[in-house]
Amino acid sequence: METIAVYWEPRIKTYGFQRITDLALIEFSYALSDIKPLGEIFSKDDLKTLRPKFILSQVTNHEISFIFCLPLKESKGLRTSLEKTSSPTSYRYIHPVSIVFFHGPHFGDRYGIADATFSTLSKVGIKILASGCSLASVFLVLAQNDIDKAEEALAETFEVAK
Amino acid sequence: MEKLKVGGLKQSLELCQFDLKGVHSSEKIASKVSKLLLSQKINMEFLTYYPHRNSCHQLTFCISQDKFSATSEILKKEGSLPVGWEINSRGQVGIITIFPHQSAIKILGVIMVSWAAQSIPIYGIATSLSAISFVTDYQLIDKAIEVIQDLFQLPEDHAPLKPEIRYCQSDIVKGD
Repeated sequence: METIAVYWEPRIKTYGFQRITDLALIEFSYALSDIKPLGEIFSKDDLKTLRPKFILSQVTNHEISFIFCLPLKESKGLRTSLEKTSSPTSYRYIHPVSIVFFHGPHFGDRYGIADATFSTLSKVGIKILASGCSLASVFLVLAQNDIDKAEEALAETFEVAK
Repeated sequence: MEKLKVGGLKQSLELCQFDLKGVHSSEKIASKVSKLLLSQKINMEFLTYYPHRNSCHQLTFCISQDKFSATSEILKKEGSLPVGWEINSRGQVGIITIFPHQSAIKILGVIMVSWAAQSIPIYGIATSLSAISFVTDYQLIDKAIEVIQDLFQLPEDHAPLKPEIRYCQSDIVKGD
């Protein structure tokens, strides 16, 4: 006999919103053929003290792009390491940015979370600088001065555990 | 040489990936696409969105392989995406998630180097508070896991790598 548990939250539950402020966003791209030398740069001990708060990578047919969000003082170390070895095909830097991240009890196994997140921010006119959702977490990188408004809007959409 | 310690490793079921790319658009693409998938009750298991790369927006997401056709269909429907947007898709991808204790950048770099040496591709990466997730070719996922197991020390009481149960939240009750 098969037992199927069915459940549905009319309002999506989260464990609450957390934020990390005063970060730098560093974006850089390399030719896909350079993935190994780029991996060698990341493996070096001089970067082991860096504690990135969020990393995202997107791949096209010929290029791999990375976004690192990390404290300002650490961002200089990353830039120096990249420049020492080889030059990225593009490089961009934004400061200050903040991260809002949240997760919930059923984020891995239900649809509608991305829509609830992006629609909420879109309605209140907040631009997302970058976003990554993996496992049961949603990470949003926003301009620093948007973070209060974003958290307020998200808290109205999602049910926050008390 | 002593292996780097990691807190855990897990792999996904078989997924497919969509990369949507286009020039700057006043339309909110992440919101629009997530609404389209919501209308079909499709869960995105992985997503990266970066709207500013080289003046180009890119939204990448992974969903269950069995939703590939339904998703292709709704994305290709006229008016689903802004004019000029490009849709690239890949069937048979999988996600490997590693839980580093520390040294996330080093672990990322070591995996990039080792997978490149074995011709194991990386199609996307996203981190969360405690994990790094890599999208790769599902047909090479066992080889990719083997490489990681050779490189890192996993806890002795490690949970199974492959999911044993598939959970899904639904508003539809299935009968016997």
